[in-house]
Amino acid sequence: MNHRSAPIEVRESVAFETSYVREALGRLRTYPSIQESVILSTCNRVEVVAAALNGVSASEEIKAFLAEQRARKNRHSLDDHVYIHHGPEAVRHLFRVAASLDSMVVGEPQILGQLKEYYNAAHAAGTVGTILHRLFHRSFSVAKRVRNETAIASRAVSVSSVAVDLAKRIFDRLDDKTVMLIGAGKMGDLLARHLQRSGVQSLMVTNRTFERAVELAGRIHGSPILFEDFPRYLTLADLVIGCTGSPEILVDAGTVDKVLRERKQKAMFLIDIGDRRNFDPAINEIDNVYLYNIDDLKGVAEENLQERSNEAEKAEGIVQEEVLNFTRWIDSLEQVPTITALRQRLEEIRQRELERSLGGSLRDLSEKQREALEDMTTAMINKILHAPMSHLKLNSKDEDEKTLYIAALKKLFDLER
Amino acid sequence: MDVTLLKVTAVLYLLASTSFIVYIFLVRDFVSRLSPIILFAGFAVHTAALGIHFLQTGYPGVAQFREALSFYAWLLVAGYLLIQLKYRLSILGAIIAPLVFLMTLAAFAFGTGAGELPPGLKTYWLPVHVTLAFLGNAVFALAFGVSLMYLLQESYLKRKKRASVMQRFPSLEALDKLNYVLLVWGFPLMTLGILTGSMWAGIQWGNYWSWEPRQISSGIAWLFYGVILHGRITAGLRGKKAALLTMVGFVVVIGYFLLGDSIFPSRHGGRFE
Repeated sequence: MNHRSAPIEVRESVAFETSYVREALGRLRTYPSIQESVILSTCNRVEVVAAALNGVSASEEIKAFLAEQRARKNRHSLDDHVYIHHGPEAVRHLFRVAASLDSMVVGEPQILGQLKEYYNAAHAAGTVGTILHRLFHRSFSVAKRVRNETAIASRAVSVSSVAVDLAKRIFDRLDDKTVMLIGAGKMGDLLARHLQRSGVQSLMVTNRTFERAVELAGRIHGSPILFEDFPRYLTLADLVIGCTGSPEILVDAGTVDKVLRERKQKAMFLIDIGDRRNFDPAINEIDNVYLYNIDDLKGVAEENLQERSNEAEKAEGIVQEEVLNFTRWIDSLEQVPTITALRQRLEEIRQRELERSLGGSLRDLSEKQREALEDMTTAMINKILHAPMSHLKLNSKDEDEKTLYIAALKKLFDLER
Repeated sequence: MDVTLLKVTAVLYLLASTSFIVYIFLVRDFVSRLSPIILFAGFAVHTAALGIHFLQTGYPGVAQFREALSFYAWLLVAGYLLIQLKYRLSILGAIIAPLVFLMTLAAFAFGTGAGELPPGLKTYWLPVHVTLAFLGNAVFALAFGVSLMYLLQESYLKRKKRASVMQRFPSLEALDKLNYVLLVWGFPLMTLGILTGSMWAGIQWGNYWSWEPRQISSGIAWLFYGVILHGRITAGLRGKKAALLTMVGFVVVIGYFLLGDSIFPSRHGGRFE
């Protein structure tokens, strides 16, 4: 799901904390149809990319997996918010994500870094095989091509620059302003740097883990402050960026009201760009305070998105080309057509036998019983196929063995008629 | 007063207004540069018209309402051009230029004959008092425009709407600062306007303060602006509230300027004796 398909509340409820991704990947591996997987979870999207021979059952399993993740927090149907892509469409989607064509702010380069990070996490967790390895590396180079061959990235307005633009509409100059960065999230880091490039000199950094605050402050030349102390320093801050994964609200309207009185009503700009909402939405009601969250920035960004539609079209062309290249490669993998043929063969048999029985000796079955029979036979086929599919693992390294198995399957099931 | 020159002035103000408004919808640098130039041309002709009147009569043309209106418009343009020089606020021009155009146009509606100054007003107090009072008033008119811009920008930012016009508005901080600067200039001018008026009244009528409607309304407006200024300096009054109050203050001042004499006839404005 992404920023378009699901509101922030829903995204929050299935988001994977960075520390939890490894475990989640491990859990995902236990689902029978899923052979390779990468999880991507950013402020704007939660995606599961998986390689499987049986796309339909794999997507059901991923949905179950997400529902399980969500159940830990909240239980409502996800169906309205989830999108599923199979085959070439899935490849196209990933390429578009990597090239930042699916981003909230098209052309924002940050997503590529996140994609690489989550790919590496999956690689470390051992859930990446031949298919996803190639797919992701292709997606990285698609992103590069798009950046080099279109003006989309060079002229793009990112979430950060939308925020900087807004800051410039509130403040006359930024070089005498103080920024407070709460949380060590990627977006916050990026925005803080962007503000520095626009003139900001004074920067405070705080994080629940003080070491991370110190580390981040060191990297971006800010001063670290203790997390417990940050409310006291709010009075000094003209711009406050919230980018933590904290599920609770860190700054409420009452606090800001008090801070503002201490500041003698000097304007404040609060930017909430974490995975969760860190600032109370009611803050925006207070005079001389401006609160924008990630979805608000989207509103501004979408207009820029349209202005860049020409460049985006060019980029889509590149993506399309690369998708074709990739699908050609997938089709060249011997396992894929063999498995497809095998599945088709079994399905044909199932259909034929069902028809015969239901038209004959089982004629009197009720609707319910018929359905049960359908389910049972489908389950049988899936069970039968499970073992051969596992042996034909897409990421199998042993070429000889693979060739042997494929030849055997073809022969035993008469697949080359 | 030279009617032809005033007509030329009005036409130039109209052209400037159009140009300023075109700038809002069409971001073109040359439009933004052209508009103040047209306005300045209008201002120059306007100055010539007022100057000729002054040379002919020895007094500024303020004896009649229409003359006062024209003089006021002239001060307003002068104030705006000064701001434009320093802050490059073409958007404010889009508020001020149509306003002065309407004022010069309205001046024609009140006849075109030269006013005969009542003998009681033939004193040097007249130009001093009227100029200071009008100048203060014009500065507050500009503050009104700036406040209006502030509120527009503020409401767009609050409602998280994006209009490309707003991109050309100055930042809230800049508008607030300018609003403050105008208040700091306008308040002493207004004070001097009231003081000279009072002294003149003392000499002319033998009474410095006679609780005349015009005096009362000026006093109220003066207190009002004084409170805003005090609040800005000491109590952190700024932003939206300050902008709103500034606008209210001006409505009081201008409302009286335009309607006061017809509601409460008084000795002020040449109607006495």
